[in-house]
Amino acid sequence: MSFALDEVGLTHSNGFASLSGITLSAAQGESIALIGPSGAGKTSLLNTLGTGHLPTAGRMTVLGQPVTASISASALKALRSRIGTVYQATPVPLRQRVVTAVLAGRLGRWPLWKALASLAYPQDIPGAREALARVQLQDKLFARCDQLSGGQLQRVGIARVLYQQAELILADEPVSALDPALSLSTVQLLVQEAAARQATLVASLHAVDLALSCFARIVGIRAGRILFDLPAAQVSEVQLQALYAGTQDRTLPPGRPPAAEPLAATVMACR
Amino acid sequence: MPLNADPSVRAPALRDPAARGRVGWLLLALVLLGPLLQGSGFRLAPLLDPDNLRVIGNFLANFLPPETGSEFLGYLGRATLETLAIATSGMALAFVVAVPLSYLASGAARERITLNPVSRGLLTILRGIPELVWALVFVRVFGLGPTAGVLALGLTYGGMLAKVYAEILESADPTPARALAACGAGRVQALLYGLLPQAARELTSYTVYRWECAIRASVVMGFVGAGGLGQLMDQAMKMLNGGEAASILLCFMALVAAADLLSTGLRRALDAAPQARALPFGWRSGLLILALAAGLWGSLRLLDMDLPALFTEDAVHTMGEFVQGFFPPDLGHEWLAKVLKGVWETLAISIVGTLLAAAAGLLLALPRWRAPWNLLLNLLRSVPELVWATITALAVGLGPFAGALALALHTAGVLGRLYAEALQNTPPAPARALRRAGSGGLQAFCYGTLPGAAPQLLAYTLYRWEMNIRMAAILGFVGAGGLGQLLYFELSLFHYAQAGTVILAMLLLSMAVDYGSAWLRRAMRA
Repeated sequence: MSFALDEVGLTHSNGFASLSGITLSAAQGESIALIGPSGAGKTSLLNTLGTGHLPTAGRMTVLGQPVTASISASALKALRSRIGTVYQATPVPLRQRVVTAVLAGRLGRWPLWKALASLAYPQDIPGAREALARVQLQDKLFARCDQLSGGQLQRVGIARVLYQQAELILADEPVSALDPALSLSTVQLLVQEAAARQATLVASLHAVDLALSCFARIVGIRAGRILFDLPAAQVSEVQLQALYAGTQDRTLPPGRPPAAEPLAATVMACR
Repeated sequence: MPLNADPSVRAPALRDPAARGRVGWLLLALVLLGPLLQGSGFRLAPLLDPDNLRVIGNFLANFLPPETGSEFLGYLGRATLETLAIATSGMALAFVVAVPLSYLASGAARERITLNPVSRGLLTILRGIPELVWALVFVRVFGLGPTAGVLALGLTYGGMLAKVYAEILESADPTPARALAACGAGRVQALLYGLLPQAARELTSYTVYRWECAIRASVVMGFVGAGGLGQLMDQAMKMLNGGEAASILLCFMALVAAADLLSTGLRRALDAAPQARALPFGWRSGLLILALAAGLWGSLRLLDMDLPALFTEDAVHTMGEFVQGFFPPDLGHEWLAKVLKGVWETLAISIVGTLLAAAAGLLLALPRWRAPWNLLLNLLRSVPELVWATITALAVGLGPFAGALALALHTAGVLGRLYAEALQNTPPAPARALRRAGSGGLQAFCYGTLPGAAPQLLAYTLYRWEMNIRMAAILGFVGAGGLGQLLYFELSLFHYAQAGTVILAMLLLSMAVDYGSAWLRRAMRA
């Protein structure tokens, strides 16, 4: 079991309930896409899984560790070092070198002396290069992050999570800043690499077609609750319309033909 | 597609290409550090010596309670007024010096950019020689008292104001002035109608800021006998009278804080939009101008200065004779070697002082709970370097190390505040992401926050180092080594030719710092 949530709720200090009654569990190695209109609670759910927010109601176990409000700081730190997150905009200092940005993925496991020594001389160059090779960026090992394009920077973020050897990978809108072609290849990469190391992958996605074509399991969220939780093949157009009813958020619905033919071809290649 | 495996992609070697450069810089720093520490007289032993600690402990213990006797408070009140008066009259003189000089030196509203090299050179000399040196020299001519302070402020600040005025006018959009000149306006008219309206806000703002600086400077000049709070402080320090020193320091801090408030308020008032009426002044600005005039008149009355007497034939004659004594400067090999050693010592003091300050400032900038640390930082920076030097001299004895420590204490206060601001303005996302991946606080800071803030921190440190070189040159007046100590000795012994060489060295050092920092700024921007 990778994680199990039982009637989990998240109420912020201002009284706003962003999640309520979430019951969701995943076996190790599953790949799950979260879809739903913006403001539905996708990011809140990812933040809760990543222990950024502790649940205010219900029970949650992540990677075998029960997460409660009274979890000790050291247990939380140990748990977090096993959870990797890919962000919409990769949060690295732009003047940092790629090798350092990737090695920073393992700061949670390295002793302090190693972390400090690595600032003077990178402590695991082969490891960083191996992770970068998985995302075809090994030639940028010693480049500075501000020399990379947006798509390359996103792959550095993925390389960092791969180097972290995370058992649970969370991705919050990982491709919404990229163009469609690049989005597809990046999501493919994420799914492949997660599967290759038996890591559980939970990604929130804006693009429904990407979610349906690349992920095995789809969870639809609306107003802080789970609307459906189905294998991708069983998600129907009716359910999607109910999910997005009254919003303008849905991009490239499968009911309409995709905008560009080549994109459609690659979408099919994802499966 | 960028992700298709491309076997021709060249993978770099598994060795960090930056490592060689880093080792090189590290070795260079280590090689330089030894002589630098030696030059600044760095020793830990006197800092830990129980006898020294007892002396300074007793002195600091004396600070409480501050002296509040009515006789002393009378002196204190008079000295405070005197300090204010020196700053105000000095600024008035500086303004009178600066306006014609900036008109001559500036290329603004000229047909062709012709920089008047004579006035530019004069400006460099005026502001290249620290006000404290001018004060020291004028004290020899006009005797102890505020006259020396006013003249010194007038000349140095006149040079600074003129340079900045000229630059502000040059940086304003030249097209309105050019259009006016094209339809027959002379240069003065073009300046007044085309450039001044654009630049007025900045000019006023800088002048007010300089007045605030002049208050600090006039306190410091008291240490060489130019009147005001500084002179009182010097006496209290020499008699190890902690209670009086504490009262004076408190008074000084209050004065600086009040000037800071007033200057911020005035600068904010400049931003208010004008009202629609023919007269450009309202009752508020009218009142302000009246207050300014009254303040200036009161200052001159208080100081009992006879400005016209400075320009009598007699005074000019005395002055000329005195100045002649400095020429020609002693350029003998032996003396030059000694001055060069003084320059090296000055540099060493400034570098060691700035490095210590940067380390302490960073430590003080780190804690999340700011309030107590900000109080400490404010305390450190509100005590001028020269005052710190008299205190550190008690702890480690006279010599360059006292100077380095004094610089470190004051600068730590300044840098700590700037560092804290820079760190707060650094994007928080990278560090937060690292903590979400299980990293500890220190690691997240080193990998997530520091790289983002580093350029800013470096720029602040270099900027303070530049100021510290100038300050290190004059700290010697209270016995803290470097060029200042050399100058103080030679002037006390009436060795004017030798003193001339030292002043020349200070001027050259200041010019070198000017050019160096301009070059560095260009290099860092590229």
